Amino acid sequence: MKPMTAKELEYIADSMSNEELLIKQCTALAVTGTTPALQNLSLQFLQTHQNHYDSLLHAIQHHQQMAPTQPQQ
Amino acid sequence: MYQQQQKQSILTEEDLAGAILSDLKRVVREYATAATESTCPDIRQLFTKLMNSTLTLQGQLFQAMQQANMYNAASPALRQELDKQMKQYQQTKQKTTQFVQQNLGQQQNQTFYTPAMQQQTNQQQQGNQPYYM
Repeated sequence: MKPMTAKELEYIADSMSNEELLIKQCTALAVTGTTPALQNLSLQFLQTHQNHYDSLLHAIQHHQQMAPTQPQQ
Repeated sequence: MYQQQQKQSILTEEDLAGAILSDLKRVVREYATAATESTCPDIRQLFTKLMNSTLTLQGQLFQAMQQANMYNAASPALRQELDKQMKQYQQTKQKTTQFVQQNLGQQQNQTFYTPAMQQQTNQQQQGNQPYYM
């Protein structure tokens, strides 16, 4: 495994923001929605987005140890 | 199942579902971009998996919205429009094939387009036969 690039880290951080927004939107739809099919789907999506978020977080965690502490040229 | 609060969104259910749908579409594109710009194989694989998973969610939500009459499907393309594009791109294809043959002496006959109805018969075909003759 290679160290993560700065660009990859940026994409991961942006992706976690996206997933966080989707988690909130799915929660809102589950709470305020009136169509059972959509409510059930939003609850299912909620779990998937939480998994996505955790996967992204784990990727950072796994690369923490091999990340350099000084800027490379 | 979930908190039964007396909460009412100022957005309609349709607005909210539509917002999620367009965010899912955007996130699919962002994961694709992230995957193509990743250098670590494990990170690329992560973004690819997340892209596929998000694409699945987008498809599921689209279908659910369509069933709930929240989505007006685009109108079908007209027959004459299909005929026109078909004619034009068959000519283009000939030129492209000529270009490849002139430069490589090679013929390429693969298609990624395999509708469900055609798949069974195509499985019996072997080699480089086009699936649409």
